[in-house]
Amino acid sequence: MSLFLTYVVSGIATGCTFALVATGFVVIYRVSRVVNFAQGVFAVIAGMVASSLLTRNLPHGPAEVLAVAVAALAGLAVGAIAIGRPGTPPLASLIITLGLGIGSYAVIILIWGDQPVSYSGLPGLARLGGVSIQLQFLLVVAVTAITFALLSLFFDHTYPGKALTACSSNPYAARLVGIDVRRMGLVAFALGGALGGLAGVLITPLQPVSFDSDVGIAINGFAAAIFGGLLRPGTALVGALVLGVAEALVAGYYRASFESGVALVIMLGLMVWRASRGAIAEEPE
Amino acid sequence: MRALRGRPPTFWMGVVVALVSLVVPVALNDSQLTVYVFIGLSVIVVAGLSLLMGFAGQISLGQAAFYAIGAYTAALLTRALGVPPLVSLAAATAFTAGVAVVVGLPLLRLRGHYLAFATLAFQLIVLSVIGEARGLTGGDTGMPGIPTLSIGPLAIQGQYRAFVYAYVTWVLVVGVLLFNRNLVRSRPGRGLRALATSEAGALAAGVPVARYKLQVFALSAAYAGLAGGVYAFFVSYIAPGSFPVLLSIQFLIMATVGGLGSVWGSAVGAVVVYLLVQVLQSVGTGPGLPPQLPAILSYAVYGLVLVLVMTFLPQGLVPALQARVAARRQVSALEAQARGQLD
Repeated sequence: MSLFLTYVVSGIATGCTFALVATGFVVIYRVSRVVNFAQGVFAVIAGMVASSLLTRNLPHGPAEVLAVAVAALAGLAVGAIAIGRPGTPPLASLIITLGLGIGSYAVIILIWGDQPVSYSGLPGLARLGGVSIQLQFLLVVAVTAITFALLSLFFDHTYPGKALTACSSNPYAARLVGIDVRRMGLVAFALGGALGGLAGVLITPLQPVSFDSDVGIAINGFAAAIFGGLLRPGTALVGALVLGVAEALVAGYYRASFESGVALVIMLGLMVWRASRGAIAEEPE
Repeated sequence: MRALRGRPPTFWMGVVVALVSLVVPVALNDSQLTVYVFIGLSVIVVAGLSLLMGFAGQISLGQAAFYAIGAYTAALLTRALGVPPLVSLAAATAFTAGVAVVVGLPLLRLRGHYLAFATLAFQLIVLSVIGEARGLTGGDTGMPGIPTLSIGPLAIQGQYRAFVYAYVTWVLVVGVLLFNRNLVRSRPGRGLRALATSEAGALAAGVPVARYKLQVFALSAAYAGLAGGVYAFFVSYIAPGSFPVLLSIQFLIMATVGGLGSVWGSAVGAVVVYLLVQVLQSVGTGPGLPPQLPAILSYAVYGLVLVLVMTFLPQGLVPALQARVAARRQVSALEAQARGQLD
């Protein structure tokens, strides 16, 4: 029983990082209708930056915040290239973000090399209901909860947040009331970069990241995001937690190498099921 | 001779390219011949991917999975069951197409980025299945000792091994490209082109959209399976690491550079991208240079090429050139006409 609880807790923690990546996908897709293939890269970059800053004796806290800021800038840069030219069709933007993801490998290897990096997170264990839990897990959950609360405040109660929502529900009408849709797209990309970066700084102490870790991170995030049809962050959070726990249980009770297979199979099944119900059959051109 | 008269210049250009590429292997050494074979195999895969993306409007990030399935099927049949290599090659092609039909039935309901992620997931699943089925495939350590291609007692080996493989590849490439050319001009090809312009329009005009999409998906997989089979016989050792996600992306880059749906573009794209990466690899492996430099250079080029082509030449290299030539010809025709009216 305590083994089961340990798996569930670690699953919830990894699920939270998936949720942050997934929200990045959702925030960007809602406003720009672009699925950002480089979403996993933000997490890798933030993890690498944080690790570099920590080895240069910057304390925990400022190092992570700076790393998230760098990831937000990376998001802005990706957005500027992907939707910078007006009239770029979404599928072309998708391939452009894919190209940026591959191109970023070159930059990452150039700066940090091709070996995985890691750093120690929050040390220590907590006892909860008879199981000992790494404090880093609790940190991940707490940060994710705070982030989601802030996001919901931002989208529901501030003008920029409402403007982003307006762009997602009707870009034409948003333009009519004076919202710069393209600039909002860039804001969304920066926010998506920051969310990916947040996932990165939280995940790096748990599992070392290397330049090509982004594919796995992006797949898990995307799988969680499509629970909500790429549009609803709340459903993405639920999807991410289900995914994280399912993966932890499979890895714990069955075989660790099948862990990533869970996300893939759930994702495929979910997409095909939704498509057969016509939910995602049509995509706006 | 009458059949040759009045052929467009592109026809003669194709003939010249075919003849040149037929002569080139004579002048190449073994390692260059290996590159020649790999380029040819890429052309075969890209020819299928280009049809799929250009005509059926479907993006595939998992084409290397079909390449892997073809390679493993051909290798297993010949190595474990002693099936003659040519039969294995045909079976691998057919089996890969069959897998594509089974996978495509649910997956092709998806579009755009959903299909992109689905095909990527498909490739990761295929790779992990190959890695887990150790008894059959040798797992992650791979499968060594795959026999070479042979017809009866005649096996491709010895001094001229790579040379003969170069010609086998040439024949297959020409066959695939001619098949594509005829397909594009046939009745189903016209249906496919209608499909590429507007799916709803094609459906309204009576084009069986879903069936055509599935058939093109299966055809592109068959090409990849065929190329994968030849790859296995040629290199005689395969492992899951031979078919990374990056290989799928490389195929995608080649198809995009050449021009999606352009029959000759797929050949041009594959050759240009492959040679570019080869040149950079040799530049990057000089003495005293960091060992990661070749990897850095090829990632940088892949990224740059994808971004630049999609931003500035979304229709690809060959169609862009064709459009420019056609426009120039139209201008000179109009000029001639104007001059005629003046005289």
